[in-house]
This record gives sequence, C-alpha cells and structure tokens, in this order.
Amino acid sequence: MTIDIKRIYCAVITIVLLLVLSGCNDSQEFEAGDTNRGVTLTYWPAPNPQEIELADSLVRYWNDRNPHIQVRMQPIPVGQSTEEVLLAAIAAGTTPDVCSNIWPGGLHDYIDAGGLIPLDRFDDFFTVLDERMPRDILDAFRSAEGHYYQVPWKTNPVMMLYNKDILRIAGYTDPPATYSEYIEIGKAIRDIDRSGSRHGLWMGQRDIRPIWWQRLFDFYPFYIAASGGRTLFQDGEIDIVNEYAEKVLDFFQQVYKEQLFPRTFTHGRDLFLQGNVATNFAGSWQIATIRRYAPDFALGIAPIPVPDGYEGPVYTYGDYKNISIFSTTRYPEEAWEFVKFLIEARHDLLLLEITDQIPVRDDLLRNELFAEYFERNPEIIHFAEQAPYTRGVDEIFDLQEIFDAISQEYEASAIYNRKEPLQALRDAERRIQLIKAWNR
Amino acid sequence: MSIFQNRIRQTRDRGAYFFIAPYAVFFMLFVAYPLIFSIILIFHRWNIVTPMEWIGLRNLERLVQDALFFKAIGNTLIFLSIHIPLQVAVALFFALLLNSKIQFRGFFRSVYFFPVIVSGVVVTILWQQLYSYDEGLLNTMLNAAGLKSVPWLVDPSIAMPSIALMATWKNVGLYIILFLVGLQTIPRQLYEAADMDGASNWNKFYHVTLPMLNPTVVLIFILSTIGGFSLFIEPYVMTGGGPMNSTLSAMLYIYNQAFTFNHMGYAAALGFVFALIIFGVVIVQRKFIERESYS
Repeated sequence: MTIDIKRIYCAVITIVLLLVLSGCNDSQEFEAGDTNRGVTLTYWPAPNPQEIELADSLVRYWNDRNPHIQVRMQPIPVGQSTEEVLLAAIAAGTTPDVCSNIWPGGLHDYIDAGGLIPLDRFDDFFTVLDERMPRDILDAFRSAEGHYYQVPWKTNPVMMLYNKDILRIAGYTDPPATYSEYIEIGKAIRDIDRSGSRHGLWMGQRDIRPIWWQRLFDFYPFYIAASGGRTLFQDGEIDIVNEYAEKVLDFFQQVYKEQLFPRTFTHGRDLFLQGNVATNFAGSWQIATIRRYAPDFALGIAPIPVPDGYEGPVYTYGDYKNISIFSTTRYPEEAWEFVKFLIEARHDLLLLEITDQIPVRDDLLRNELFAEYFERNPEIIHFAEQAPYTRGVDEIFDLQEIFDAISQEYEASAIYNRKEPLQALRDAERRIQLIKAWNR
Repeated sequence: MSIFQNRIRQTRDRGAYFFIAPYAVFFMLFVAYPLIFSIILIFHRWNIVTPMEWIGLRNLERLVQDALFFKAIGNTLIFLSIHIPLQVAVALFFALLLNSKIQFRGFFRSVYFFPVIVSGVVVTILWQQLYSYDEGLLNTMLNAAGLKSVPWLVDPSIAMPSIALMATWKNVGLYIILFLVGLQTIPRQLYEAADMDGASNWNKFYHVTLPMLNPTVVLIFILSTIGGFSLFIEPYVMTGGGPMNSTLSAMLYIYNQAFTFNHMGYAAALGFVFALIIFGVVIVQRKFIERESYS
C-alpha cells in the first residue's frame, strides 16, 4: 500500500494552522473605566493556610460590594520561594494585578525589571499612608530612585519564643536577656538527666544547612539587636566587620561548642512544638501553629538576647511583607482601590484575628478597634510592642547571594568552629565585595 | 552526485521523513535551541527579567577566579571516586549471587531493584534521618553497641563518602540487572572448557567472567560517571552543600547560580565548562577500561 504523502502533508499543515489560529483568540476583557461591563483583578496572597483564609474572606466581602470590580484570588504558585515565583512571572508576563507577599529584599529585582508601578502616582497615596504610619517609617520603604513601590502591610518581628516548662525543669523562671544568661540556662538544660528518654532536650535548634534565608532568623536579627538597629550596609557599603557581628558569631560559636543546639536537621518535625527545644526565634505566625497543634504549650515570649552590657531598646528583624501593584495590570486605578481596601483598619483587625500577624500601623496599641483582640491574645502584645523596634533588609542588588556568603562563613565559624569570628567576617566581606564587583 | 543524494533518490517510501519529523522538531526545540542559546548566554549577563547584556568574556574570567566552583568539581570527583568502584563491586557481587541457583531468586532480584524506583527526594530524606548525628538510627545502634556516634553529615571529611554510600544503595539495583544480563550472555562452553582444564572458581571468574563482562563494565562505568556528575538531589536536600561546602556538587553550584541568584549567563558558562570536563573524563575512562572482549 502506498501512502499519498501530499495529502498527509496537506492535512498536517491544515491542523497546525487551525491550532495556531485558535490560540490567537483575544480573550481580553473589559477596558478600564467601562464600569457598565466591570473589571476582574487577580490577587495573589501568600500560600499559607491562614493568609489564604484571610484573603478569601476579604475578597468575598469586596466582591459582594463591588460588582463592577471583581477580584479573583489565587495563592502564589508553589516554588522554592515567592521571590523566584514572582521573578519567573515577571519574565513570563503572567504577574497578577496585586500581590500581598512582597518581601522588600526582592523589590530591587522587580523594579529593575519594570515589573511594578510606583504607587505614589496615585493622588491620595500619602493621604492614605499618613493615616496609617509616620512618614519616617514609610520612608524606610522608599526605593533608591525616590518612588514608593510597596505599601507596608504587615511585619513579623523575630522574637524569642520559649517553653516555660523546660526552663522550670532546669530551675529557671525568667527567660534569658543576655548571651551569658542564655548560655547558662542552656548548659543547665543540656545537663538534665535524660537517660530514660528517647529524645534529648536542647536550648534551641537552627537549620545547620548553609541556606541563605535561614540567617534571617538567627544571625541577622541577633546582629540588629546587638548593634542597636544597624543593618548590613551603611551608606551603600557592606559593614559587617565590626564588634557587633563578632559578638553575634562568637555567641553562636559558644552555643554549638557547648552542645546547646543539635547539629541535626529534622525534616517535617518541629522540635520546639514537640517540647524538645526550649527556645525558638520566630515571628507571631508561630502562635497560630502552637495554638492548633500544642494547645497546652506553656509559651513565653521575650526579646532577642543581647550582648552582656548592652543598653537601650532591643531591636530585631521585622519580616515585612508588603503590597504592590504589578505593571502588567490593565486597571491600575481599580487595583489601587483594592489595595486601599486591604489596608483599612477593620481589615487589619481581620489580619490579626486570622493570622496573628502584626499590621504595620502606629496606632495598634492605642486604637480601640484592636483592644478586644489584644485582651483575648495577650501574647501578641509582645510582638506589637516590638514592631516599632524592627529593621528590614537593605535594598541592595544580589541580597540573596550576599546572605549566602554570610551563611557560608556563619557555618564555618559558628557551627563547625573552623574559623575565628573576626576571620569569618573578613572572609564574608571579601566575598561580598567580589560578588558586587562581578555583578556590576 | 553524492552518495547521500543517491540514497535519497533510492528511498521509495518518503513517508519515513514524515515519521521522524516529530522527533526532529522535538530535538530542535528542546535540545539544539537550548544548547545554542546557552552558548550565547555565556557572553551575556542575564537575570531573566531584564534584557541580556553583552559582557564578552567576563563570565569566563569570573569562573577562573571562582574557587568555589573548583571546590565543587573536586567534591564531585571525590564522590565519583568512591561511588563508582563501590557500585561496580557491590553490583557485581550481588549479580553473581543472584545468577546462581538460590531460593527465592526472583524475590531478591525484585527487592534489590526497589530503591531504584523510589523517588530520590524520599530516599534522601529517609537517609538524612538515618544519618542524623544526635538521634539517627545508625548512631543509636552504634551507641547501643558501645560505639561512638559517627558525624555522618556534619564532618566535612565524612559527609561526601556518606552521600556516596547512600547513592550506591539507591542505584545499585539497576546495575545488578545490567550485570545479570551480561552474565547470562556468557557462553556456557567457556566455563565447561575451563572446568576441563581444571580451573578453580577464582580462575574462572578472573579469566572468563570478567573479560566477558568487559562491555557491561564499560557501560556501567560510563552510566555511573554521567549519573554521578549530575549529583544534585542528595546535597540539595540533605546538606545544602555543607558542611563547609564539602558536599557542594558542581550541579548544585550551577543550580544556585542560575535559579537562586539569577546569574543565567554565569551559570551557562559554568555548565559549558562542566560539560567539557565530563566529556574529557568519559574519554579517558573509555581508554583505560575498555578492552577487546573475547568473542
């Protein structure tokens, strides 16, 4: 049997053309301002259960009252990190209209790519934000070229959560406030007789793998605390070879040398929640987890320990997450209306109620609207009081690679005691300067 | 008229080109195009979201100064130097056992293959728990026997051998199957002739089995080498490249540069150099281990 090749070729070409033409269908929706026909915005909240629940409530409320500006909520697609997902979306042109999980450390890349719109283009931007926070706090989120691409939404001040029961077994009631107190209590816990028990007891636990963002929950908040609020860069130059960073590294080196932290990484097990670890450095998001999975947990909250002799307020890293509007939006005015809705005071209350995370507003502890929530949740007051004493990350290119360099030296010095802290800091600074030279 | 043109003209059924067209399209889109684009990327700075910027040889200049990349290459070679001989020896040992007349031979052949089909991430997480210094099963057993804990993944000199051991356990089943196939193709007459000459078991193994298995050994060496050079999941999940970059593999380093730090051009340069290294190693390997096999 011979095959009529010409007919087969014609059939294939026809099919391909049909497929191509069908893909060219313009499914564009309505134009801005055409309120008779309405618009649909896409909103990406963080992909954790509490924030999805919050977003769902807010979007339903909004959609009921705004039939001409509908919002479609979609949790941020799964990825190694939100920053990687957003960068990929910017590259592909598939960004949402609004996202409420913007980490300030990633903003530089998004702005560089032209992925965001400056929010101060809206006439009422400063009016709205001045009602929420003082201008000096807002200015901390202004980009180097003078515009505002993010609305500060919530913060998770990293504090020391501790297990009162473990401290009590070790003979202590007050949490440690200084490095020497922390090590003293840690040694007492280490020396508790556990011969009859399957699991050890530890003062704390950190991921020992050199992953860059892990330093946001140990080295970096401790550095901010020890230095009275400094970040890694001063006047655009890296500045970590100083006494504060040296004290922090020395502290963690002592902690591992004295075997107060295990040199183990446990997948899927939270040793703090299980009651095997006395302290954990985390934000208020952990409160909801503890309530759900360990309701009898005897929880205490205290500021990050500081070097002996430190005076003044204790600062920490505030894991800010902000709201931005992407440049692919076809409805910027409508998107801004939705953003203003998200940051209304009654919705900040909902943020507290559902996620236990702290809205960035300066009247949190004065406003009657929040009084009843704090009465029911006194532990969150600690985080609210800490919020004014937080620092974010520097708005610098290559921040992840810089933290990676710090992570490598932290590992070598603190965890494995292969380098003196000062040498580790010098090596970190050298590599960071190389990174900046390579990438310019 | 060239030979090729003659052959075209002689082909009666031109439908053959129609049937290879899909793969040709696939090859162009997913192999040739990315390869050419990667080579172009070597001379550019690109983070996906901003336009590509021509920088000439700067990526290669950086590579030459990048001590961490060479450390990653060295780590990968350490992994291979342990993993390949171990894998070949263990696979051959079990293949010889499974080729003999033992009870439940079929069951054992299946069981040894199971780790091959289990997800690499799952196996890595399981072994991470086994290797845990403080509460892992291995150290618990050692302590129960009165021995000290071994810092499997927390000592820079032991971490990579530990990963090699785990990788051997995971993949040996595949090579057992390959050796079994090789063993079963050895003509029985050779063993009969050796028996008639009074050869011992060791003599038969050394003078008959091993030479006849040479093509299989070459295949396994090459597959293990290529597989070993793509070491990624284990350090990524287990150790993050630590302790102190001792388990940082070349693939993990390239991945970090590309997808964690968005240095696509530099990652392309690293990948290109790494590919040349793999090519060179495989060429050298074939030269030294390939022998004429007896027909």
